[in-house]
Amino acid sequence: MPFFSSTEEVQKIMEALWYEIREHQEIALPLLQSKLIVQFHYREPEGRLTVDCSDGQNMLIIWGEYDKKPIVEMFMKADVAHQFWLGNVNVPVYLISGRIVAKGPVNRALALLPVVKPAFKIYPNIFEDTLNRPLVSA
Amino acid sequence: MNTFVFQSPTKVCFGEYLSATAFEVAKDMGAERPLIITDKFLVASGILEPLLNGVRDGGVEPIIFSDVPPDSDVESVNRAAQFGLEQACDAIIAVGGGSVMDTAKAANICLSLGGDLLDYQGLNNIEDPLRPLVAIPTTAGTGSEVSFVAMIKDSAEHRKLVFGSRHLAPNVAILDPVLLISLPPKLTAATGLDALTHGLEALVATVTNSAVSDALAIESARLIFEYLPRATSNGDDMEARSATLVASTMAGIAFSNSGVGIIHALAHATGARFNTHHGITNAVYLPHGMRFNLEYSNAIYGRAARALGFSSSMDDNEASEALVKAVERLLKEVGLPTELKQLGVPEMNEEELQEWVNLVVEDPAIIFNPREASVEDIIGIYKRAY
Ligand SMILES: NC(=O)c1ccc[n+]([C@@H]2O[C@H](COP(=O)([O-])OP(=O)(O)OC[C@H]3O[C@@H](n4cnc5c(N)ncnc54)[C@H](O)[C@@H]3O)[C@@H](O)[C@H]2O)c1
Ligand SMILES: [Fe+2]
Repeated sequence: MPFFSSTEEVQKIMEALWYEIREHQEIALPLLQSKLIVQFHYREPEGRLTVDCSDGQNMLIIWGEYDKKPIVEMFMKADVAHQFWLGNVNVPVYLISGRIVAKGPVNRALALLPVVKPAFKIYPNIFEDTLNRPLVSA
Repeated sequence: MNTFVFQSPTKVCFGEYLSATAFEVAKDMGAERPLIITDKFLVASGILEPLLNGVRDGGVEPIIFSDVPPDSDVESVNRAAQFGLEQACDAIIAVGGGSVMDTAKAANICLSLGGDLLDYQGLNNIEDPLRPLVAIPTTAGTGSEVSFVAMIKDSAEHRKLVFGSRHLAPNVAILDPVLLISLPPKLTAATGLDALTHGLEALVATVTNSAVSDALAIESARLIFEYLPRATSNGDDMEARSATLVASTMAGIAFSNSGVGIIHALAHATGARFNTHHGITNAVYLPHGMRFNLEYSNAIYGRAARALGFSSSMDDNEASEALVKAVERLLKEVGLPTELKQLGVPEMNEEELQEWVNLVVEDPAIIFNPREASVEDIIGIYKRAY
């Protein structure tokens, strides 16, 4: 059974997480410097989130349709995203086995993996605060 | 044991003069008008004759695209695909080195799915099977005849673009050692070292590797250590040509499942920036990259050193050092350069170095490396290799 019960749940969590990331200089700054527009496509449940760093100053976080063309797109189950932010996804394994699909100059996005690692510590709190349910029972 | 996935969708056929069967093989997959992708040198050399005669015997005049430069770029791929479309080709036979095979794999995307090549950049991004592709290597190095990736140069940006999908794996690889007789000593040595690097990097890609790919990597390394000096010093030595060719395919299957590592990331960045040959560049970085990883890989390298007979010590540090030393001896024996400056890599100022380091950090190969490398680490390896 998928971890998130609805698209709304995915939206709430991913938006809250990225709003928090935006406040953490050590994560936000390198992302802004990359000037990437990364779009995440989730399935089971469906959802789409874009993180637009293209102007190098402000990180735009948009749920749903977005009119700018993303530079990199990542496609995965929402469960994979959840496990990723918990620090449980071994990205090389998921890429080799095809469980994560990456479109565009993936190398630029992969180079940012070490940068977002500190967010693994933020995620459990975000999760519990936003959904009012503990991680463990899930 | 780690969970792992292992797949190798390519049928592998080995035999002297087997390239003559390429058309039949394509026909068995339903093809009537295969596009032959190769390079100008190979056409002029005459080594394609058995293959071309095979096509003629099948009642078809060969359709050849040979405008492939070493380290193929987006423009060449587009030209090849366009030509294939104009000629209504329904399959591809790629015969050449890694540059030709990668061009064919990328051109097959456009030929099969249409649209702009750049839209298919990425990993696992191609969802549908492509047209039948028969790959016939004429170098024993890249493993592209069985791998799931194609690396295509973006000449304007001096970087390699990555296309990775299991649908890119050729349907059939024909290994015909006769095609390699004309490969000069330096390229024989360089491509052999590319294959050795594939095996030795796949072996230590600890999060993705498996006993299945380790077995391929170790046996492939054994064949290369034993036969590469012979293939290099006497190009007519069929036994040595055969062994190194099979070894490179085995290493290709190993790294397709386990990944490569920092040595390839360094070689890709250096090649993209300074047009150095992929195999020679790997060769220069190989001992330095192995030493960088030693602390994390000594158990596996130690085991490999014992399996390959380079050490009988049960001390992994001692045994893995013996493996690095064996690599250094092999480099000497086959007459390859051991310093970047010998490849014509110019000294970089701080700013150039930073830009180049970014290419290394952004290379997908680096995520499979057992040890994380900081910017300082990368510059350190570069300086030691210079
Ligand atoms: N897709 C993959 O899995 C993979 C893996 C490693 C490397 N590569 C790519 O492969 C390329 C390098 O390929 P390569 O090392 O095979 O070299 P290459 O294909 O660039 O060929 C080098 C030269 O050797 C000549 N040559 C080839 N076969 C010959 C023969 N039998 N006799 C005489 N000359 C011959 C070619 O004409 C060319 O001039 C790089 O672009 C690299 O990025 C791809
Ligand atoms: Fe290689």
